[in-house]
Amino acid sequence: MRILLSAFVFMFCAMAASAQDLQSLLQDNADDIAKPSRNSIGVVLDQMVATGLPQVPAFLEQWSDKNVWQDDITGTFFMATEADDTLTLTDIDTGAETTVPSDGFTQLKPNGGVRRVIGTALVQFQLIDPDTTRRAAALESIARRPEASQLAPLMASLEGETDPALLARKQNLITILSARFAEDPADRIAAIEALAEETSVETRAVLNQILATKPGVATDLPDANIAAQHDPMTGPDGYYAALVAADLATPLTTPDDIRAAMEANIIDGRVGGVPTAQLDTDAARARAYATLAAAGTVPPLVGIPERDNALNTHVFFDTYTEDDPAITTAARNALDQVETAVALAQTVDLGLDALSLASIYFLAAIGLAITFGVMGVINMAHGEFIMMGAYTGYVIQLFVPDYTIAIIIALPTAFAITFAAGVTMERLVIRHLYHRPLETLLATFGISIALQQLAKNIFGTQARPLTSPAWLDGAWIISDVIQISYIRIAIFIMALFFLALILFILKRTRLGLEVRAVTQNPGMAASMGINPDRINMLTFGLGSGIAGIAGVAIGLYAKVTSEMGADYIVQSFMTVVVGGVGNVWGTLAGASLIGGLQKGIEWFNPSNTLAAQTYMILFIILFIQFRPKGIVALKGRAAAD
Amino acid sequence: MPTLLEVSGVTVSFDGFRAINNLSIQFPPTGLRAIIGPNGAGKTTFMDIVTGKTKPDEGHVIWGEENVSLLGLSESDIATRGIGRKFQKPTVFEAQTVRQNLAMALKNPRSPFAVLTHRKTAENAAKIEAIAEEIGLTDSLTRIAGELSHGQKQWLEIGMLLAQDPRLLLVDEPAAGMTVEEREKTTDILRRAAETRSVVVVEHDMEFVRRLDCKVTVLHEGSVLAEGSLDHVTSDQTVIDVYLGRGHA
Amino acid sequence: MQNSFIARNPSVLWFLAALGLFTFGVTILSEATGLGLISTSFVKTLGKTLCLCLIAIAMDVVWGYCGILSLGHFAFFGIGGYAIGMWLMYARTETIVLESLAGQNIPATPQEISDAIGNQIFGVVGSSDFPAIWAFADSLVLQLAMVVLMPGLLALVFGWLAFRSRVTGVYLSILTQAMTLALSLYLFQNDSGLRGNNGLSGLQNIPGFEATPQATISIIFFLASAFALGAGYLFFAWVISGKMGSVVQGIRDNEARVRFLGYQVESYKLFIFTITAIVSGIAGALYYPQAGIINPGEIAPIASIYLAVWVAIGGRGRLYGAVIGAAFVSLLSSWFTGGGAPNVNLGFYTIQWTDWWLVLLGLSFVVVTLYFPKGIGGLFDYLVRKPS
Repeated sequence: MRILLSAFVFMFCAMAASAQDLQSLLQDNADDIAKPSRNSIGVVLDQMVATGLPQVPAFLEQWSDKNVWQDDITGTFFMATEADDTLTLTDIDTGAETTVPSDGFTQLKPNGGVRRVIGTALVQFQLIDPDTTRRAAALESIARRPEASQLAPLMASLEGETDPALLARKQNLITILSARFAEDPADRIAAIEALAEETSVETRAVLNQILATKPGVATDLPDANIAAQHDPMTGPDGYYAALVAADLATPLTTPDDIRAAMEANIIDGRVGGVPTAQLDTDAARARAYATLAAAGTVPPLVGIPERDNALNTHVFFDTYTEDDPAITTAARNALDQVETAVALAQTVDLGLDALSLASIYFLAAIGLAITFGVMGVINMAHGEFIMMGAYTGYVIQLFVPDYTIAIIIALPTAFAITFAAGVTMERLVIRHLYHRPLETLLATFGISIALQQLAKNIFGTQARPLTSPAWLDGAWIISDVIQISYIRIAIFIMALFFLALILFILKRTRLGLEVRAVTQNPGMAASMGINPDRINMLTFGLGSGIAGIAGVAIGLYAKVTSEMGADYIVQSFMTVVVGGVGNVWGTLAGASLIGGLQKGIEWFNPSNTLAAQTYMILFIILFIQFRPKGIVALKGRAAAD
Repeated sequence: MPTLLEVSGVTVSFDGFRAINNLSIQFPPTGLRAIIGPNGAGKTTFMDIVTGKTKPDEGHVIWGEENVSLLGLSESDIATRGIGRKFQKPTVFEAQTVRQNLAMALKNPRSPFAVLTHRKTAENAAKIEAIAEEIGLTDSLTRIAGELSHGQKQWLEIGMLLAQDPRLLLVDEPAAGMTVEEREKTTDILRRAAETRSVVVVEHDMEFVRRLDCKVTVLHEGSVLAEGSLDHVTSDQTVIDVYLGRGHA
Repeated sequence: MQNSFIARNPSVLWFLAALGLFTFGVTILSEATGLGLISTSFVKTLGKTLCLCLIAIAMDVVWGYCGILSLGHFAFFGIGGYAIGMWLMYARTETIVLESLAGQNIPATPQEISDAIGNQIFGVVGSSDFPAIWAFADSLVLQLAMVVLMPGLLALVFGWLAFRSRVTGVYLSILTQAMTLALSLYLFQNDSGLRGNNGLSGLQNIPGFEATPQATISIIFFLASAFALGAGYLFFAWVISGKMGSVVQGIRDNEARVRFLGYQVESYKLFIFTITAIVSGIAGALYYPQAGIINPGEIAPIASIYLAVWVAIGGRGRLYGAVIGAAFVSLLSSWFTGGGAPNVNLGFYTIQWTDWWLVLLGLSFVVVTLYFPKGIGGLFDYLVRKPS
């Protein structure tokens, strides 16, 4: 209150500087300055601020920083810096400097509480400080610890604020402070309603503070700003514990209590007349306890009927700490509005998350989809090709220190290496197993375990880093709720790029034409002079090469381990199966569905990603029931097995 | 004349391509019928529809005296109701003996439990012998089907159809890849089968159709173009244009 | 009838004779009889191997004969193990709890006993309540029924869903793999009611036989496993001989043809899938008391793929091939990974088999698939035919 008033005084008097100097004011209150306490300091500070002297803020800062010394004899205060037993004194009013030995001077050491009060008083000066960073710092300190006293200086500082960002922030803080501390309820309600337009964490915190409640229990509902009343039967034990805590009831007699009572009262092998050997049922123990209780040996039994009786004769409620119902209602409405907006933003954020997961699945699965679609071959080693790509990136980073260049080299190298691996595998193994898809599946599985173990032998079992370039660090923050990391954006763009590239290859190039011909009718294609062997080889190489690139992309945001391929292979299969074989758009649809589904389920049950995956797989099994050929199914003869 | 199978107004399309277009065709309880037509005329799709492999977009397929609709029934259901099908490529179980092939096809209860507890009976053995006799594979009963010649495989498959004792036999290009003698024998087998049941032969080969000497239906672009004796249809100008003309060109 | 069945399948007789001899030999040489030439732990390994042979036969029937490459049969094996493990763990914990409560001067109520057991079993996952699936854990008979019912029901439901929508080939394999993954992920959760990744442990202690030495218990389980393998072999040999075998192999070779012959292919697949799942469950129920512990890692999809590897290496489409493959590869695998195999010093590099065994296995698997599709069992054909 005092500070508030003085601030207004300060506002009007600041220009007409008082003739009084600061030193004399300090001398008038010398005791309070030298031995300040949090309770007494306010009056002095008010007086200092009220003088409107320009030297006041500097003095307050130095005081707070323990740089004010007092002459033991004259009692004069100086700002001073100490070095090797000498003090450089600065006159508080004139600024004149002198150097003296530090003997004979006492340093003022205001305690933490006092320094906080000084700091609050300083804020009003900092708010109009010419230095923008100091103004910004002052605003942040207000935001961290909002107090009623800050409202007036904040409002005063609006005028003359030249920086538009700071101006906006000041207005924003004024709204927040007004919502909590304004004098007039109408002002508070207006501020609260203004807050409803924002979704920031800060806004929600303010509204939640206004809506803070504390639980209560009584025999009748008190006359207060009641937030909610509870039916105790929805959680009888918890509410009864509240009753007990409020000394309105005695605790329930637990089975352990009964047992303890039995043990404490065994007389001649009997408890309350019941032989101990019979005390192995709850009914027998209850009888024995009742006998003991009737004799006054143990306290009367407090059981479920007693508990319910006590619960029914009391009311359980939450009261708002804010007394004015108009304000809490306004805040409740505002919070509802904010939460609706936040939910909407969260949905968008979830959508972005799902999109980025879908791009990863797309990258991981598209190579598989191409080989599966064109050759009808399931490549179980596809995951290991992803791993090879990631390790390629890691090895290149060992030799190329610049991460940007390393990534630029890694992408084509990974493609080349996995392309070569794919072609080799096709030549050596898969070519001999056409028309035996199940055996291809197993043979490629053999390659998969061999490659995985090989990677383990070479690179060890610990995870290797694949570091992204600095410009990919951080996230694109759209609001407090919606943000997405740059790596995920990069992966999304990469997925788009490969989607376009594959569509281009399939639809616009000679190779694509031949690939489509072989997919639809291998016999006919062969008779047209297309060499299916060559097409199969190239297709397999292409599919594997894309897996290598996917490996680099995945390695950038996940750890590179020998088992990373296995982590993605099942999801990739799901993507292909759900999407439909042999169709790029199908893979895209499959990846979107699976990515979206996984994020969606995680959203419902965020604590349990294992459950999310379980449910997703169950969903896919059911999905296959209705669309056995996937979302985008080939029809007609091409689809017949 | 009573009708065994009536196909009416059936249409089916794959990705916009109409493989069968408003097809209507009937078959009597006995007798031989040949269906001819150029590639893509819808012959195989027609058989797929009748045997339940492909579901038509519209139309009806009505079976037997009780006028049961075959649409919506499963392949195995349709087969047990008395429709047997021979594929274009001979499809016998190559890993098993001729006897096992025939025993599997023999008309007997088809449920897993009945099959599990199935025991060989003299009656069944006699039936197998009779069919083997009919298709000329008596000496090969213990041989592995995969070792048979192409023609023998074709006969074995026809034998398996006969073992099923169907009322309607759909036979897809039975003479493909056969020598002249083999063709003659095939013709005889089919003719004899047609005495007690309806036999529908889908053929490409005019020579073979002439040998069958039966009513001919010409399919073109998924519907019936002409019907009648072979001489009648071959003199039809539209048939000559779309099929024979192109074939001779 | 049985005579003629054996007469028609001499290999069954040979197999049973070999199994009998082996079982007899191991029993004589074990510690239980006092000779002690075979250690108890090795008897357990052999007993476990017999269980693996049993599930390999089931796998061979479903894959080698019926053509369904199931990557989920180890899940059924695990379910069988969990089902028996629940009883073993419950009953043993109950014994311990009753002993510890016996000393108190007030006898415990049923609720107190149940709470104490729950606390013992579920303490590791921060719970003490019995989940609903433990409802029958106190009854050996019911849990034994679960060994058969749970895998059977799961296979029936899953198979019905998959087969009726005509999912075949690699699609079906992936779907079964997904089922396995879902199951193992589910079991990994702490609130699955089966102790999360801790699994069930202490299964080697058979309640009621605390005084019996492990040497005796191990030989009893070994004999039981051998009996189960023999019975399973006989059962499957019977199933796949005769007309059922014809139809099932027909489905493998040409599903459409069988369908057009009027057989409901789906029912047959479902039948084979379900009975093999049940046998897998039984094999698991015999395996895990010998292993002592079961956890969700055992059910992971990779285990089912290894199962397919064993059968492929042993030789598909012949039951003894599956037995040979499972025994050979699993024993070899534990010899190599257990450090039994000597390291090979190449001068510049020392091959440590614990590191390189999987590479060798993976590559040999490729070689077998490519060049010896009949597997080890194919060698028998070679030996049998050579004299003629």
